[in-house]
Amino acid sequence: MALASGSARLALARPGRLGLGSCGAPRRGAYEWGVRSTRKPEPPPPDRVYEIPGLEPITYAGKMHFMPGLARPVFPPWDPGWTPPKFRRLPPLHEHPLYKDQACYVFHQRCRLLEGVKQALWLTKTKLIEGLPEKVLSLADDPRNHIENQDECVLNVIFHARLWHSTEDIPKRETYCPVIVDSLIQLCKSQILKHPSLARRICAQNNMLSTTWNRGSTLIQVHGSSGAQLNAKDPLPPIASREEVEATKNHVLETFYPISPTVGLQECNVYDVNDDTGFREGYPYPYPHTLYLLESANLRPHRFQPDQLRAKMILFAFGNALAQARLLYGNDTKVLEQPVVVQSVGTDGRVFQFLVLQLNTTDLASDEGVKNLVWLDSDQLLYAHFWCLPVVRRKAVVEPVGPTGFQPETFRKFLALYLHGAV
Amino acid sequence: MAAARCWRLVLRVPGLSLHTAAGAAVTAPEVTGPDVAAAPVARYPPLVASLTADSKAARQRRVERWQATVHAAKSVDEKLRILTKMQFMKYIVYPQTFALNADRWYQSFTKTVFLSGLPPPPPAKPDTEPAPALDVAALRAAACDCLLQEHFFLRRKKRVPLYLEREAIASPFLDQLVASLTGLLSARNPALAAAALDCKRPVHFYWLRGEEIIPRGHRKGRVDALRYQINDKPHNQIRISKQLPEFVPLDYSVPVEVPVMNCKPDKLPLFKRQYENTIFIGTKTADPHCYGHTQFHLLPDKLKRERLLKQNCANQIEVVFRANAIASLFAWTGAQAMYQGFWSEADVTRPFVSQGVITDGKYFSFFCYQLNTLALTAQADQNNPRKNICWGTQKFTVTWNRCLS
Repeated sequence: MALASGSARLALARPGRLGLGSCGAPRRGAYEWGVRSTRKPEPPPPDRVYEIPGLEPITYAGKMHFMPGLARPVFPPWDPGWTPPKFRRLPPLHEHPLYKDQACYVFHQRCRLLEGVKQALWLTKTKLIEGLPEKVLSLADDPRNHIENQDECVLNVIFHARLWHSTEDIPKRETYCPVIVDSLIQLCKSQILKHPSLARRICAQNNMLSTTWNRGSTLIQVHGSSGAQLNAKDPLPPIASREEVEATKNHVLETFYPISPTVGLQECNVYDVNDDTGFREGYPYPYPHTLYLLESANLRPHRFQPDQLRAKMILFAFGNALAQARLLYGNDTKVLEQPVVVQSVGTDGRVFQFLVLQLNTTDLASDEGVKNLVWLDSDQLLYAHFWCLPVVRRKAVVEPVGPTGFQPETFRKFLALYLHGAV
Repeated sequence: MAAARCWRLVLRVPGLSLHTAAGAAVTAPEVTGPDVAAAPVARYPPLVASLTADSKAARQRRVERWQATVHAAKSVDEKLRILTKMQFMKYIVYPQTFALNADRWYQSFTKTVFLSGLPPPPPAKPDTEPAPALDVAALRAAACDCLLQEHFFLRRKKRVPLYLEREAIASPFLDQLVASLTGLLSARNPALAAAALDCKRPVHFYWLRGEEIIPRGHRKGRVDALRYQINDKPHNQIRISKQLPEFVPLDYSVPVEVPVMNCKPDKLPLFKRQYENTIFIGTKTADPHCYGHTQFHLLPDKLKRERLLKQNCANQIEVVFRANAIASLFAWTGAQAMYQGFWSEADVTRPFVSQGVITDGKYFSFFCYQLNTLALTAQADQNNPRKNICWGTQKFTVTWNRCLS
């Protein structure tokens, strides 16, 4: 409100004459009052005839032009009927139709959680397991699933993204991050010849997800778009067996007193409680398969830290899973018989984080009972560094152009997450 | 007299020779004794024009010396660098243009012949097995899914206003369509499975064609080549590692003539600027996927059908599609050819073929382009019967009610 411009402040409909306030000093400051040469001229004062009560002045309004001797007409203020979008002001929050007294803590795509993964686990009532599940790792290690010349193809992809795709000498992260993820997905898609069910998937972007749940007495919402999302016609099979799911009853969620679990979330009184997967009914690809979250800002302070990125991945995957579960099984809180599984990959173009989340229960208000499960594989480097120009010391090439510390294992996990559900 | 004096100087000081060719000619018979009778020995150094004189012959010699450096360049990058390092004023050709009858102008700039319809199908080889039947229903379903997802099913943050509709809806639809069709068709064409898919990557090409007399300036009255540059940004493109087979043989003579424009390109309107000359296919020369397959272009709002009809330019609707196809595909195939080391003095020995799909979100047109010649400069084009060929179809529409049924 302190940043409202002069014209916007006027439109807040303050009664009274403009210009002079109660104490006679101008209500607008010098900045808004304006430079003398740009100020509009003051309107001429009304004729003295108007000060005589009971008298109807004869004006030249009917003649449509000035006539000496007749009074200057005073017209009622004109209401244009509409305001241009530039000058439109939002109504005060209390009058908004979606205003509620209870505050909701909203997680959107630029929220950085202070406690990172621990806080995300508490908010979603989830138990963490380090490393990807064996089912997915076996897909990674199975040589039948490998692409021919896989390492060579991945190295070409890295070269293309980091060096070749642009005329610049050193392409920036904003261009190379989406290029590398798109090229890796394209490489995974080449397996469509071996697994035709990979054709039953589609990629979507900019869908607005919105889910709300109660955690104790606090209302938490995940709202926003998470970037690119792979949707499938068939749901992912559950990973953990019933026994493992029942065993999570004994797990105690880690708290981080004195930090409040809602720190970092945006407190909001205007929100919509209804769930929204981001797609209408009848969408042919209803099951979210994998979310791809990119941190592609050029400057390091604008990018998320790996811990914050992992927390964002957990919350968005959980939001998608919860919306899907409520769509399939209704809004009542219960333990799901068919758990919903959603995957997520987060990267900044070099370091990858892999995540598989299994939603076992929608009963999130209490801290006891069955918990959800998340398998997290953090900080997988695809390559340690990429030299765009050769490093030459004393006329000898010390480091050639190309990646150093290439790890083919990371792409195998990426491929395994892609093939999961279709093999 | 002068020649005799030079001869004696060369004999006395064999290490310092004024003309290196002359020195070689002098020393050669001393080395190969018995073969003297076979090759007639030049007794005088070759009479060549001066290198620094202000004469046409000297200029020709300088041009030939420069061309020899290009021929002798060891790598393609070096060759491209020598060809593009000197910057002069050049015309900037925009593939997506509102200019009237731009397709005829672009045909004359690129020496292209336009033929309606698609190119003749390749002759069926008897030994290979017939290709599996095309699952049209699955492709149609995938295309409908992409269309419906963007136009109907996807819930976006705000209702998209009309002026942003193209980039917010038609652009992701085209991305999805290309990705899904590439995936589905890779069963029939394994090269598509290994292809590289580019999204909004630039394509640049720089070439010389024709000559003009410089009208004013300190070089007034002299003959100067006309330079052109295309800086294109196709919406999607598919690049493969093996070249597409040719549609027609390299020296196929097309009965149609290339249109000849009698005015300067400025009349199009086309404007000159001087900046970096770039030749780029979408990746640098080191990429193994250096041959093009298909480009996809999305026309901007400025050139949409309703706007052209309002301006009484109904006959320009097709022209917009054709001009875009000719310019973009010529730039792409030309850049591919230059990446293989061909240029105007070293013409292509095999035709470079690419395809293009141009759309405005609703109407699709399909084009095929075959580059038969890069020799478009005045010097190289004197005895060049080859022409580049562009095949193009009429517009096909994708309509709503057919998809929803």
